[in-house]
Amino acid sequence: MSIRAILVDDEDLARQILREYLSQEGDVEIVAECNNGFDAVKAIAEWKPDLAFLDVQMPKLDGFEVLELVDSDLAVVFVTAYDQYAMKAFDAAAVDYLLKPFDASRLRTALEKARRRLGERAPGPRAAELKQAARPPGQWPERIVVKDGARVHIIPVAQLEYAEAQDDYVALHSVGKSYLKQQTILSLEESLDPAKFVRVHRSFLINLERVSKIEPYTKDSRLAILSSGAQVPVSRAGYLRLKEAMERG
Amino acid sequence: MHPIFQDKNSVLAYLAAWVPLGLMLAFVIKVSARLGWLETASLTAPLTLFLAIVCLSPWYLAKSLPLGTSSRAKVLGTNLIAAMCASAILMGAVHILLFLASRLHPGPVGACHPALPILAGVMFLFYLLSIAMHYVLLALETSKRAELLSRESEFKALKAQVNPHFLFNSLNSISALTSIDAAKAREMCIRLSDFLRNSLRLGEKTSIPFSEEMELTSTYLDVEQVRFGRRLRVKQDFAAACAHCEVPPLLLQPLVENAIKHGIAALTEGGEIAMTAHVERGQLRFTVENPFDPDAPAMKKSGFGLVNVRNRLAARYGSAARLEVQVEPNLYRVILSLPCGDTVKG
Repeated sequence: MSIRAILVDDEDLARQILREYLSQEGDVEIVAECNNGFDAVKAIAEWKPDLAFLDVQMPKLDGFEVLELVDSDLAVVFVTAYDQYAMKAFDAAAVDYLLKPFDASRLRTALEKARRRLGERAPGPRAAELKQAARPPGQWPERIVVKDGARVHIIPVAQLEYAEAQDDYVALHSVGKSYLKQQTILSLEESLDPAKFVRVHRSFLINLERVSKIEPYTKDSRLAILSSGAQVPVSRAGYLRLKEAMERG
Repeated sequence: MHPIFQDKNSVLAYLAAWVPLGLMLAFVIKVSARLGWLETASLTAPLTLFLAIVCLSPWYLAKSLPLGTSSRAKVLGTNLIAAMCASAILMGAVHILLFLASRLHPGPVGACHPALPILAGVMFLFYLLSIAMHYVLLALETSKRAELLSRESEFKALKAQVNPHFLFNSLNSISALTSIDAAKAREMCIRLSDFLRNSLRLGEKTSIPFSEEMELTSTYLDVEQVRFGRRLRVKQDFAAACAHCEVPPLLLQPLVENAIKHGIAALTEGGEIAMTAHVERGQLRFTVENPFDPDAPAMKKSGFGLVNVRNRLAARYGSAARLEVQVEPNLYRVILSLPCGDTVKG
């Protein structure tokens, strides 16, 4: 079985060396090359490769964000210069990671692992988990990426007003627009700074900075009125969490 | 503890310094009491030793009442009172010595009457002198510690600047070039070595001419040029007057490195880094401009590199230097201004 691979790196020479090494492997076919994260997401959707060699630091979207936006049965080998936190994440979840500069035999080892992974057709790493592990402790992402057909939206976290769970998706509400993302509300909650975002309801996560007032609703629940005028239900447990977070802040 | 006890040599030196003072004291006693040399010595030697010990005490006063922060009246008053107490104690010692002497040698020593007021005055002056010396000592210690601290922060700054990303990415480029263009790979090895060697060499100095810093920066850019190819374009415009301005080493190059890391590297099409420098009213003004992707979060804040530069500027020039960041929709500009010429503080 031949492996269809995509190379993603913003540096020409970095792709060049991958191309050179891979040309010595009989069963690897390079179907696309990209020099930024946006193009990578598009090309992966279009070409459906088996394997991606993914740089971490790239224009537009970084390697983790790309991973978050593509189907999880893609085997990923990260290629990076140096990043101690990222390396921890690779250890946990990626097929393998290559530290630049690397030699042909190191690449072959990574390919071996990828072949095994592809043979099993095991589900790939959960991107959100991977992303979390790659972040230095105490730091939170400043933006959320959402794929909408072929387009990619970037939502600054500070502009996220609230999120609502909708089956397997979350609806992210930001600046009067709403974006659907395939993610559970729990994993979204875990990826955001708990000092800023509070789960006020089984299906709702709100940005504390956007709350203008809390009104009583029914006997056991309340309504949070956000700065845009949006009304979000607050459960009893959610209200306790909200109070706690506000007192802390 | 008094700093003089930190090593044996300084204790010995201190005691040696008291030998001429002791001789002076002996002269006063001998003349006023009309004693022989031997008697004078037996009286003066223990007295001088005691005086030497008492004269160490102003250290603690000087430490608790530093000149800059305490009120002058308080410093003056406290020290005068201390001097009076010290001379009173010392006169007490003189009396005890005389009493002992009269018991042991009922001869001329016991019967002598040195001019006690003069002796008291001499000791009072000695003590005042010692207070002054201790304030000088304290000032020296403080400046030494400050220098050590600023050295330490500079060293940390330099260490932090050997950017592993840059190094590993460059090595990766070299590795790729070996099979496509061996000559270019070799050239890049040499450029990279030049850059590393010069960073180490210049990093040891306290200041270097602006021209040398720019030479280093240009070697750095040569290496990055290979990595980024057409994505990196450089424009520079330096006025001739800047060349001789003294700058701390490896202060400006990180600004350019920042411009690449957060600006050019985050743009698919890359962009132009524009550097300008001129001298204005004795201040060197160095500007770096780079385009950036407004969607990338990193450039909006002042990154670690800038914090480092700010700290180094503050430690060295105080308020005479400044670092300004201007963010336009697609353009990031850092303006650094510092005194041209070797006006290093302290």
